[in-house]
Amino acid sequence: MGEIMGELPLRVLEHVYLVGVSVVLATAIGVPIGIQLSRRRSLRGPVLGGVNVIQTIPSLALLGFLIPVPFIGGLGARPTIVALVAYALLPIIKNTVEGIRSIDPAITEAGRAMGMTEVQLLRQVELPLGIGVIMGGIRLATVIGIGVATIAAFIGAGGLGTLIFRGISMVDRGVILAGAVPAALLALVADWGLGALERRLSRWNA
Amino acid sequence: MRRTSGAAFLLSGLFVCGLSCGGSGPQITVGSKNFSEQDLLGEIVAQWIERTTDLQVRRRLHLGGTFISHRALLAGEIDVYVEYTGTAFTAILEQTPVSDPDSVFRAVRTEYADRYELEWFAPLGFENTFAMLVRRSTADSLRLRTLTDAAAYSDEWVAGFGSEFMEREDGFRGLSEAYGLGFRSPPRVMDLGLLYRALASGEIDLTAGNSTDGRIEALDLVMLMDDRRYFPPYEGAVVARRAALDRHPALRTALQELSAKIDTDEMRSLNRAVDVEGRDYRAVAGDWVERTLAGGG
Repeated sequence: MGEIMGELPLRVLEHVYLVGVSVVLATAIGVPIGIQLSRRRSLRGPVLGGVNVIQTIPSLALLGFLIPVPFIGGLGARPTIVALVAYALLPIIKNTVEGIRSIDPAITEAGRAMGMTEVQLLRQVELPLGIGVIMGGIRLATVIGIGVATIAAFIGAGGLGTLIFRGISMVDRGVILAGAVPAALLALVADWGLGALERRLSRWNA
Repeated sequence: MRRTSGAAFLLSGLFVCGLSCGGSGPQITVGSKNFSEQDLLGEIVAQWIERTTDLQVRRRLHLGGTFISHRALLAGEIDVYVEYTGTAFTAILEQTPVSDPDSVFRAVRTEYADRYELEWFAPLGFENTFAMLVRRSTADSLRLRTLTDAAAYSDEWVAGFGSEFMEREDGFRGLSEAYGLGFRSPPRVMDLGLLYRALASGEIDLTAGNSTDGRIEALDLVMLMDDRRYFPPYEGAVVARRAALDRHPALRTALQELSAKIDTDEMRSLNRAVDVEGRDYRAVAGDWVERTLAGGG
């Protein structure tokens, strides 16, 4: 058990790294896509359908397919992050679309009537008003990502899954909990932290 | 302000490479699947290469099963891992199970060389077959010794298997046909490690474990005899990429020396040290390598 505790900080760091990088990347990819989709109704169905399909691919199969793929595949952190980004896209894109679409059309019309450009409208009206829903998607993606990142253990990328699966194969409840409890705490802390960030962002914008 | 955060997003993407793209010098990557025996064997192979050659070894142990390990080997993400002849024959080459060990090994060696440019080394000396397990209380009260005996009672049982066993050519479907095994409900599919505990605690009544697993004894489980010889022989042997072997002749010599070094009893006791006594697999592997080198092996 002492060994496990010595290993724990490394596993937590690996886990935070994998989830952190993938959520940041998924946000950088997903929010712009979501903004585009909120403007182009015709693209919405196919793109959301596509990210929906990604959700249904079992993680082990996705990792297996990624191994021979050059540049993004292989073993270790890279393909794990690719898989985590793929799984995080759905909540982020969907909430961005919903966040912007939920704004009262009268408000955006008023903005246009005042002569705002599309970019101004986005920055000064749509994003500030939609931020709550958009951040909700990012929070959801983060919490789900912390759970899904246990699959990193399948391809040697470390993380808390390493402890959980080792505990399972050793039939040792203590080792399983040593991985599972920190993962649950991470999820709580991340959700709380992002919630605080969300409140700040909306206050700052108001 | 917003522009900088965009740049930060892109930069953090570059760090992805930072963790996994480094490394220099002649390096051999050793892989293993995700159960204790494989961790042990991966570590034994890794330490053996480190002790008997000048090569640097990188470990990629505990990969998620045969599928991931094989694909990693094909893609050159790992250079070496220990596979079982019967597993390669049925799960990878998708042949119907055959019971003669030598013909399985010969077929696997030829096919791997032709199809994948992978080389099989002579077996390590132990066999790890599927162990069809029941609780001792079940075996005693029903006087079960073989799978044929069990087929008479199986329709009252719930079975549980790992997902790999459900899919494989030499897995559940063929086995239930060979013995006419029917169960009360479709088998529960779960992680290999959980199956032993589920069986011991009565959640399931029959499972397929590994015959070399130390938990069979520790949890008081009984292995039923495969009296119709359904399962092919599963001899553990090192598989390596030809490209790596050609580049490093010392690697080939080192791996050849490992053949016939671990018999079934020894493998079982190594597994027991990890799974039952809770020792670290790296230490157990290290002791073995030390002992073997000292013993003039």
